[in-house]
Amino acid sequence: MFKKGVLRELFDTLFGKSWPMWVGGILLAVLNILLFVIKYPWGGSGGYINVGQNLFQSMGATNIGTQTPINLHTVALLNIFIILGAFISSLFSKEFSIKVAPIGELVKGLIGGALMGIGATVGIGCTIGGFFSGVPALSGGALFLSLGFMLGTFVALKYLLWEMEALPKISMGKSSTLLPGTGKKTGWQRWLGWILIVVVLYIVSNYTAKGTALSKILGWHVFIALILGIILQRSRYCITRAFREPFMTGESSAPVAIIISILVVLIGFTVLKYFGVGNAGETAVRAIEMKSVYANFWLRALIGGFIFGLGMTVAGGCAVGTLWRAGEGHVKLWMSALGFTIMAPISKTFIVPGITKIIPESLRSKMFLPDYLGYTGAVVLILVILLLWYMFVKWNEKTGKFSAL
Amino acid sequence: MQVDQTLDCKGLSCPMPIIKLAKTIKKMNSGEVLELLGTDPGSKSDVPAWCEKTGNIFLEQAEDGGTFKFYIKKK
Repeated sequence: MFKKGVLRELFDTLFGKSWPMWVGGILLAVLNILLFVIKYPWGGSGGYINVGQNLFQSMGATNIGTQTPINLHTVALLNIFIILGAFISSLFSKEFSIKVAPIGELVKGLIGGALMGIGATVGIGCTIGGFFSGVPALSGGALFLSLGFMLGTFVALKYLLWEMEALPKISMGKSSTLLPGTGKKTGWQRWLGWILIVVVLYIVSNYTAKGTALSKILGWHVFIALILGIILQRSRYCITRAFREPFMTGESSAPVAIIISILVVLIGFTVLKYFGVGNAGETAVRAIEMKSVYANFWLRALIGGFIFGLGMTVAGGCAVGTLWRAGEGHVKLWMSALGFTIMAPISKTFIVPGITKIIPESLRSKMFLPDYLGYTGAVVLILVILLLWYMFVKWNEKTGKFSAL
Repeated sequence: MQVDQTLDCKGLSCPMPIIKLAKTIKKMNSGEVLELLGTDPGSKSDVPAWCEKTGNIFLEQAEDGGTFKFYIKKK
């Protein structure tokens, strides 16, 4: 597209080879801190719920509906434009194609997505809002959500390994690849990428030109989502992988990347909470402190996290892993997004009220760690947990004690 | 290059190709070469990384029309 020169060199650096996951992790962490300041830390499941509710509403099921249309919902916009950002990024890197998996895999995508929809609403939060934002937000519930993810991942991985032996046909059968980025006549793909960037920037300027506080916030969410999508696709940032890999291949690069990025978010969020910064629309310091702290400590988080962990491992991507892989053209993850979108609002309306009846309020409370340990104690606790996790994955990488493959 | 076995992972996404690769290699004899076909861009880094971790020899990779081909020799 460009003559060989410095610009072409820059383009190839960005879109030639994948970035190390930890590089992507640090960039995502910085953007998450910006999201905290602009409005609220990064999340994923809230967007699925909103899109699903709008879908049901448009079909007349108003009892599962919502008052917020998709174009006014920050998280729904984040999700949609992350898909688009990842799509653009995969066009630029010639990694896009429509990858149609065998039918059994598509069903697994749908079921995995539906389980994530249930898990995220029962546990309040997914791997992004509940974990990537929740742990650095010093939420006690986030720690139990993480434990739930780990247990769910472990069980679902056992299932996948069993399936491979007992039911190998599920992952076999007809597959196809459409519109690949490599081969003949593929130059249009990069041009399409550039056109889409212009379209997204036009949408951003449309929002910001309205000049209201909300429209400015929405416009910036669209812009940040575009960058998030590109970073996610280039670094193949995968939280499912961080939870799964120690029990699968034993490789530590994914968990280490996630630990590094959580450290960066931890520093950012702690400063913002401590000084009460990030008050776009909110003035009370307490409201800022309680950002990304949900009423799920501890049993609710553990149960929801476990269900979510099952789902993300079967689907092969968490809430956000589903989005960027969908943008890259994996039809299995399209099914996962569909399952998540349909099931999350159903679960929120019909399953969650039942769960909250069974689980006493004391086992689903908001737990802000500094209330009990002070800021220093809370940060030290998170640091110790991250350090122990780091030591575990490194030790396991060497010894293979917990790795199945 | 003589290919002893071909494993078709086209259309599959992470983690299925690596699970299948590990299972298939286990049943092969030392020195035999496996050809893995896939469409997940993640495999470009996952397959060499898995080989390095397990000591199997990653011979080469090629790409055509969105399909990646990896050649792995069992240790």
